[in-house]
Amino acid sequence: MATTSKNMKGFYRQKKNKAAGGITKSKSSKSTKNPSLKHAATFGSDITQSPALISHGGSLDLKDDLDEQEQVLRLFDMNMAYGPCLGITRLARWERAQRLGLSPPKEIENLLKGGKVNLECLFDGRV
Amino acid sequence: MEVDSQKQLQRKQSTYLSLDENFGIQREVYRGQQYSQIYFARLHMMRTLLYSLVPNWKSHLPVCTVLGLEEGKECIIVGTLYKHMKLKPCILDEYSKERSATPLVKPHNFIHQDDYLVLEDESGRVKLGSTMLSPSVYVTGVVVALHGKETTAGDFFVEDILEAGLPPQIERPLKSREDKYVVFVSGLSIGSSSSNPLQFQLLVDHITGHLGDEEEQGLAAEIVYLVIAGNSVDISHRLLNGQNLTSKDQSRLSEPIKELDILLTQIAASLPLDIMPGSSDPANFSLPQQPLNRCLFPGSATYNTFRSCTNPHCFELDSIRFLGTSGQNIDDLTKYSEAEDKLDFLERTLKWRHLAPTAPNTLGCYPFTDRDPFLIDSCPHVYFVGNQEKYETRLLKGLEGQLVRLICIPRFCETGVAVVLNMRNLECHTITFGTQLSS
Repeated sequence: MATTSKNMKGFYRQKKNKAAGGITKSKSSKSTKNPSLKHAATFGSDITQSPALISHGGSLDLKDDLDEQEQVLRLFDMNMAYGPCLGITRLARWERAQRLGLSPPKEIENLLKGGKVNLECLFDGRV
Repeated sequence: MEVDSQKQLQRKQSTYLSLDENFGIQREVYRGQQYSQIYFARLHMMRTLLYSLVPNWKSHLPVCTVLGLEEGKECIIVGTLYKHMKLKPCILDEYSKERSATPLVKPHNFIHQDDYLVLEDESGRVKLGSTMLSPSVYVTGVVVALHGKETTAGDFFVEDILEAGLPPQIERPLKSREDKYVVFVSGLSIGSSSSNPLQFQLLVDHITGHLGDEEEQGLAAEIVYLVIAGNSVDISHRLLNGQNLTSKDQSRLSEPIKELDILLTQIAASLPLDIMPGSSDPANFSLPQQPLNRCLFPGSATYNTFRSCTNPHCFELDSIRFLGTSGQNIDDLTKYSEAEDKLDFLERTLKWRHLAPTAPNTLGCYPFTDRDPFLIDSCPHVYFVGNQEKYETRLLKGLEGQLVRLICIPRFCETGVAVVLNMRNLECHTITFGTQLSS
């Protein structure tokens, strides 16, 4: 039967949603315009993320535009001047930097003591 | 024997101040961290210090990081030394396919002429090449400043090196005019087959004033403190083979400690004493070793003159600062570097301002996150190390007028020698106890 549908896509079965991740658990159908920093290594590839990489007990951090606070804290984690970030809580690392005279920015301390931010560094539990 | 009641001998007193707070790990929480944190703390503290010393050394040269090196440009870099050693035992050797006839681990020293040094900071590392830098003198973990330039081969050719040097010293109080003695002893090894109980009993009797005539007792009354620097017991490992211990074995295991407690009670009743853990004592393995539990000493711990201390141990007596270890740090330096005598190692650790630079590389150490407790920021007046082969001592003079008495305390079970220090002039002598009857 010939179809007169202009849209050939309708003829074929739906393809998998190639949004960041490839596993469509939630209804997030965001485009890959701002790829999540976490999956930057596999950006642009069709490889399905293996479950091991996303083992947060099921919750996928697929927010593509990261929470601004988390961005700032990640930059703090990655700053070499304050030493290694693994194995130490962000607040402990900030306090150590303070004690060693490195003058870490006060906003970070306020962020960590105040809001609902992740107190562990970005690699925590994943390395 | 009648006690001459007209002349009552009083033991001299001294004020004691413990500075072991830094070596405690009670407040530390282990979160699975690795050693990068302690290395960062060490590099940061030492680098800040070296940056302040560089202008007096070579002010005309720029200071840069390892990644900022440019070929041919003379500059100064500061970082942690890493010594690549060919013979250093590596766990992977167990898995190597060819096993040569020579044993995998040489017992006493791992130096090889092919060893080379690498300087590392957070940005990167660079191999050091030079005619004046001898790898056999240095060990991994020392932070230094180097003057040189990068070669075409990518190495850093070293022309000069700057170590931190002796830390500043608080001056000794000059008004002490009386002789007060501190006795150091280590390596009692009670419970081992080579220890002679009579020898230590003689030492105890002498210090407590139960031996000799009035003159001898008068000398003993001038002893104000006793420091036992590690390896006080030798617990037989034969019984610890994984089987359940019978009650008979259990009592056999704890016999050395009970014997030590009896002797320490005699001492504690007479003068204050500090006991430090050593490598063979029932304390934790990694540095800083925590104080031996007071429950091990039911008799002596009831006295307030009994003090169980950490290893390393730092304290002040009459404002004279003492710093010392039970020997693990110097023994490790002996394995991985070379010197003419043990006092040279002591001197080097002071000049590097670090008690145990090889920790955590080859010497077990707790992974501190916020500090490196082994950094020496105030120069001691007396710097001792226990459990060495023989008694050695030297008076070290620093460039800024520091004066340090370096002491190597020999193992008592092998030599019967205890070291006596006069706090008035920092002079040292020994007392030897022998139990051989002349044949």
